Amino acid sequence: MTGIPYTWEEGLVIMGIMMVMLVIAIGLSVWKKIGIAREYTYAMIRGGLQLFAAATLLYFLFEFEYWYYPIWLLLIAMALMGGYTSARRAGKMPKAYRITTPSILVGGTVVLIVLRVSGAMPFKPQFVIPLAGMVFGNAMTICSLALNRLTREFETNKPTLETMLSLGATPKEAMEEYGRMSIKAALIPNIDSLKTLGIIFIPGSMAGLLIAGTNPILAAEYQIIVYLMVIGGGIITSIMVIALSRRLLFTKAQQIAEWV
Amino acid sequence: MSILTIKKAKKMLGDARALRGLSLDLEKGEIISLVGPSGSGKTTLLRSMNRLIELDSGSILFQGENIADMDPVALRRKVVLVPQESVMLQGTVKENVQYGPKLAGAVGKCDVGRCLRDAGLSPKFAGKDAEKLSGGEKKRVALARALALHPEVLLLDEPTVGVDPKKVERMEGTILKFAREKGLTVVWVTHDVPQALRVSDRIANLKKGVVKEVTNASEFRWEGAY
Repeated sequence: MTGIPYTWEEGLVIMGIMMVMLVIAIGLSVWKKIGIAREYTYAMIRGGLQLFAAATLLYFLFEFEYWYYPIWLLLIAMALMGGYTSARRAGKMPKAYRITTPSILVGGTVVLIVLRVSGAMPFKPQFVIPLAGMVFGNAMTICSLALNRLTREFETNKPTLETMLSLGATPKEAMEEYGRMSIKAALIPNIDSLKTLGIIFIPGSMAGLLIAGTNPILAAEYQIIVYLMVIGGGIITSIMVIALSRRLLFTKAQQIAEWV
Repeated sequence: MSILTIKKAKKMLGDARALRGLSLDLEKGEIISLVGPSGSGKTTLLRSMNRLIELDSGSILFQGENIADMDPVALRRKVVLVPQESVMLQGTVKENVQYGPKLAGAVGKCDVGRCLRDAGLSPKFAGKDAEKLSGGEKKRVALARALALHPEVLLLDEPTVGVDPKKVERMEGTILKFAREKGLTVVWVTHDVPQALRVSDRIANLKKGVVKEVTNASEFRWEGAY
């Protein structure tokens, strides 16, 4: 049972009808001169094409007997993409991908291993791929938020950091408070969404399971497992990115790096 | 005996040549003032002396050892900088004064009241929020914070700007006492030439990143200084 009450051909027609919504939104944007029409259209087309490309890939992977061979490449590609995307949030920090990629890779992989060992993730592409996407995606978001906050703190508090160094603090001691603040700030969206679980929104995996006809209690249970893992991965990633960024924020002579 | 020897120090800051082969020798227990126009390299020299920045070429020897080979943290606890901008760390005045000793594992030996008195502040200030102090009070907390580390060399960058004259007298007196009684070496950057004449044993006149001349304070001539 798929849970979706129509065939894929019928789905195309429904999608076409839904496009009317997009046209109305664009029309309103042009009329009210909001200025988002071009970007909205571009985002919609790009997002749609990406999703269909991913769906085609998944379709073949799900059918492929030896699906687990290419999966490693896919996981590494997810971490690399996440690392490069996240590095762009690091302000002027040079070669930030050197710290974002390993942080996302480690945070995501640890979680996937725990999911697999605990039995929550059967070794099937239908489970591994979407869960990996969720875990790596969240790790990337948290990595970006943490790094963005940390570099901003450094740029605005350079005199304070130098005062600490000149009073004999090591780089680790000087950045401790800013690191803590950055990790906390990066985790706020996750914590807030945890608090509102089931009240304001039904999260993605649970919604998917419900549509597919899973018992709501079982779906909620699975959602909580997924959330715990996703947040765990985020915490590992954020701690790692802050620890690794020390190498780029300070010189070997324990001075603030020139780019700050 | 030389405590600090600067040899042909060169440093570029962006496109500007801040130090252009500057050399200077400092004796233990002396107070030397660095005077000269803005951009002459005074602050850059101070920041190089405790390795907040690295020289491009040349060397600085502390007690005969090249500071480039020393652990920067250990050096900064002995050669302490009081920067021009007195940034207060979050917390009380007491926490600020104890910051350095705490990191060095010597908070037990830190007499906060004494340090504050030496810097011209009442010990009653200890419990105040450091960030809410006036500019002049912050300057004095910054001095107290540096003295709490029992430095061997104190690098002062315009330490009395914004401090009222009576307190300036107190601060100058403390630094002179530390130099005479405890052998503290002081490098004092100032634009206030009368102050340089009051407190210094020697005055070094800097221009365009080099030492133009070093004289005993009593022989210093105003004319060439700016």
